[in-house]
Amino acid sequence: MAADGLHENETLASLKSEAESLKGKLEEERAKLHDVEFAQLCPTLCDRLDCSLPGAFVHGILQRRILEWVAVSSSRGSSRPRDGTSISRVSCSAVHQVAERVEALGQFVMKTRRTLKGHGNKVLCMDWCKDKRRLVSSSQDGKVIVWDSFTTNKEHAVTMPCTWVMACAYAPSGCAIACGGLDNKCSVYPLTFDKNENMAAKKKSVAMHTNYLSACSFTNSDMQILTASGDGTCALWDVESGQLLQSFHGHGADVLCLDLAPSETGNTFVSGGCDKKAMVWDMRSGQCVQAFETHESDINSVRYYPSGDAFASGSDDATCRLYDLRADREVAIYSKESIIFGASSVDFSLSGRLLFAGYNDYTINVWDVLKGSRVSILFGHENRVSTLRVSPDGTAFCSGSWDHTLRVWA
Amino acid sequence: MKEGMPNNSTASISQARKAVEQLKMEACRDRVKVSQAAADLLAYCEAHVREDPLIIPVPASENPFREKKFFCTIL
Repeated sequence: MAADGLHENETLASLKSEAESLKGKLEEERAKLHDVEFAQLCPTLCDRLDCSLPGAFVHGILQRRILEWVAVSSSRGSSRPRDGTSISRVSCSAVHQVAERVEALGQFVMKTRRTLKGHGNKVLCMDWCKDKRRLVSSSQDGKVIVWDSFTTNKEHAVTMPCTWVMACAYAPSGCAIACGGLDNKCSVYPLTFDKNENMAAKKKSVAMHTNYLSACSFTNSDMQILTASGDGTCALWDVESGQLLQSFHGHGADVLCLDLAPSETGNTFVSGGCDKKAMVWDMRSGQCVQAFETHESDINSVRYYPSGDAFASGSDDATCRLYDLRADREVAIYSKESIIFGASSVDFSLSGRLLFAGYNDYTINVWDVLKGSRVSILFGHENRVSTLRVSPDGTAFCSGSWDHTLRVWA
Repeated sequence: MKEGMPNNSTASISQARKAVEQLKMEACRDRVKVSQAAADLLAYCEAHVREDPLIIPVPASENPFREKKFFCTIL
């Protein structure tokens, strides 16, 4: 352990100024790699509430509030950045420049195929099982339900002793689920089809934080769980013993989301928090490997690109952004002047070409990751979309909302 | 990193030292040019887009959500 006293020539002020100069150097290094030219005004960030592809159209119920937004956006003159935004918002991003020669996507027909009703209050989180069929969801009233998404039947239900179950996850084997929330814990419930067994009886408390649990995920096996908490830390736990294996300190505020790197051998994960930072961690050492701070508000959701070389984030600043890990910077931003509500959850399609983002304005926007344009808006939910995940084989995605329902779209 | 007026100066010094160490580590990372990184993202996408059922829809009979099948059991 290093001594806490001052070393020679070291003062608080000198350390802080060294930190500042290092930060400046870091920005310079990142800027040097920026070899793609920016256009001043990118046509993909225009005012029109549109899908920029010919023939693409908006699905679902057109509600009055949507028409209000159309009126607002078309009455404005030239596009101008909102107060407090930097000029880079209206400029084209690197990925879109490189993707100019890529073919535009065809017409999209995505509809609600299943509606899962049964929660008595806001749905806060959901996760798919690896069998691509079952999913688990949790809600504000403490209920955690396992559904069969093909038939919409409820297979299991358990009531947690706390309200606001903000995190739930399906074990890779499909034999257990993990959940937690205001109880500051993450508990694992083995799933059993034995009617005589009470699910709650076999509950195992695994994680203990000092504030609410915001996200949890099993690693590649049923044996370890990664958690994120309002106490500003993430932690890796052994399920069997409940032992803390590693903790990750670095966020300056609540951590709201996390996602594990997709590769089998990869040992990193990304987390996003209320400090507007997205941080990439090495699971073995507990070290923060990279940090990104370009969002202007809380980061609600982070998700790795399928190749593992990049990740997307959704934030309360109404934008989604793509960060490349090897270039060590933000490479794309998905936003529109007409979108003013925060994005609560994001996920990629199987190939990474589409980014689905659920927003607090009750809609789901589908973005073309490469071109940066919005491909579709999906209406249907009657309250905030709080959670969104694409199924493991990419055939559908599920969204959960404060309107107490989950919808499976395909 | 916590800013603001700390009560305990030794705590803030160790924090500042950690921040400097972290930044030094980040500054010496190897980085790749943005055009190269973007090109790799593109390449991955193009390689896998054929298998993406949400972009190239599979026939309705193969997509369990799109097919009009009735999941009922006779009791």
